[in-house]
Amino acid sequence: MNDAFQKDCLDILAAKAARGEIDRRRFTQLAALIFGGAPLLLRTPEALAQVRQLVLVNWGGDALKAYDKAYGQPFEKATGIVVKEDGTGPTEGAIAAQFKSGKPTWDIVDADPFSAIALGKQGMIEPIDYSVVDKAKMRPGFDWEYAASTYFFSYVLAYDAEKYGANPPKTMADFFDVAKFPGKRTMYKWGAGMWEAALLADGVAPDKLYPLDLKRAHAKIAALKPDVAAYWGGGAESQQLMLSGDASMGLIWSTRASLIEKDSGGQIKFTWNQGLLSPGALAVIKNNPGGKENAMKFIASTSVPERQLVMFEMLGQGPANPATDALIPADQRRYNPVDPANMKGQAVLDMPWYADNYGAALDEFTKVISA
Amino acid sequence: MRPRSAFRPALALTAPLVLFLAFAYALPFLGVALWSVTLPEPGVGQYERLVSDPLVLSVFLRTFRICFLVTLIAVACAYAVTYVWVRGTRLQRRLIEICIFVPFWISLLTRAFGWLALLSNRGIVNSWLQALGLIDAPLALVRNEPSVIAGMVHVLIPFAVLPLASAMRTVDERVLLAARGMGASRLRIFWSVFFPMTLPGVIGATLIVFVFSLGFFVTPAILGGGRSIMVAELVYLRMFQSPDWGLGAAISVALVVLVAALMGLLARFARLGLMGSGR
Repeated sequence: MNDAFQKDCLDILAAKAARGEIDRRRFTQLAALIFGGAPLLLRTPEALAQVRQLVLVNWGGDALKAYDKAYGQPFEKATGIVVKEDGTGPTEGAIAAQFKSGKPTWDIVDADPFSAIALGKQGMIEPIDYSVVDKAKMRPGFDWEYAASTYFFSYVLAYDAEKYGANPPKTMADFFDVAKFPGKRTMYKWGAGMWEAALLADGVAPDKLYPLDLKRAHAKIAALKPDVAAYWGGGAESQQLMLSGDASMGLIWSTRASLIEKDSGGQIKFTWNQGLLSPGALAVIKNNPGGKENAMKFIASTSVPERQLVMFEMLGQGPANPATDALIPADQRRYNPVDPANMKGQAVLDMPWYADNYGAALDEFTKVISA
Repeated sequence: MRPRSAFRPALALTAPLVLFLAFAYALPFLGVALWSVTLPEPGVGQYERLVSDPLVLSVFLRTFRICFLVTLIAVACAYAVTYVWVRGTRLQRRLIEICIFVPFWISLLTRAFGWLALLSNRGIVNSWLQALGLIDAPLALVRNEPSVIAGMVHVLIPFAVLPLASAMRTVDERVLLAARGMGASRLRIFWSVFFPMTLPGVIGATLIVFVFSLGFFVTPAILGGGRSIMVAELVYLRMFQSPDWGLGAAISVALVVLVAALMGLLARFARLGLMGSGR
């Protein structure tokens, strides 16, 4: 699910650059820096061995710039280790392929925590060395054996404020109630967060969600099908669906919801209430070329609040380190998924459950929505 | 029969391509084929799932249904377009050329988004219809199966035009004149003389369009609204979203075998078409 999310962050960044919210000169400088790193590829293996470097694989495009600015450059300044961003996209399948090739060229991956957990159980991912990575700088519960959280996003309820006027939808029950709130909906194509939303709407208590009652969730989701305009697969698509009026209510990523709310001049709004919080994380491939120690040092370096602030500013990601929350300007806190005020009423996706059940659950979900 | 000596230079000239395809395509594909019988455990279990998993079956059925309709519509439209292109006036021919070749240069993605801009709720068609007072509420024109079919037909018409044009160009004008001389009506000339003579082109176009349509990914993903999942997207789902390489590989193998069979058929008809042209 996340691969699409991370790719989306890049789109957001591109949009910001297009609107001039990000300094263009800075962009050019960063681009030059990235291209400046290219000759590394041309050096012989012997020469390469002397260049201390790590390859961080994310979802390409503009995430390259965000990760470089937030984490790569400060890390290089502090340690002399070059961090090269690679935008190939570390899907669970791609990470497995890297490991199985016997000679991985990747070190660190911006992976779904549940993917890292599943691959870790199969011996493809290094356990996180928590003597190097500081658990105290993470929100409790987001420090898994094979992945360390670095950011958060949330599946939130966004709606057409003009259409619903004085009586806007406030809960997941409202989202699934087309009699009280007529209008087309849009939901996430890859299931994550949608099961939880359906169960909350059906009256399941937030702390009783897991293990998910998929049968119950799918019954709820199937019943809503005639009123779903489309199931979105990427953030840009969700944004387009809401802005084009194809959907008057949507369960979409908070990063996009924030953008739409700012861009639509208040026509589209969203609520954090009953949002479904989802963590993003870094993981290290076993036998990585840059060495396990350096990779762990890098992950530890991402907990610096000022660095996570850059990721919030550039991509709208909620910081993993709670100390970062206070650095966010008061007028921007509304858009931080893990701000204490926004956290209230949200439920958290259970990564261990996803590690064990996501594949089979997604199959069922796909069957339900495409039947 | 070709002279034997012509064979060797031809082999030398095509060898690099054959080698390239072998290394860049056939070899990796063998790897994928191997996954289909080894993951997650050795055996033909994945192929059993292929014919018993309701999701896989429904996706294959939908793919065939959509591809069949797309092929029918695209070839029919292409036939009319090609007819004007080959037999129309100079001006008509130029116009048709623009209509055929301009889409060729525009990316698939752009064209899919073009359909969205045209057909979505606040899109051009709906806002015009509403402005004219013809409808009260926007019509749901997009993100459904009909819009997937429209988008695919749009992409595939040019691919059908080329084989049809080559078939129509080989029709001897004098045969049509002869039919006319014998007193046949225009409709009769078309159905009894012209159409049968272009049939190899029709078959070639049908197979090309059908084979291409089977592998469509972007257009259904964008215009289908997440409901019209086709085989290519199912493979993506199996490889990346719910990692299940075995079944993903088995679906790929099934698709490749199917396409290869259709290509074999195409090769046979292409040869027939060549013979029909009198060489």
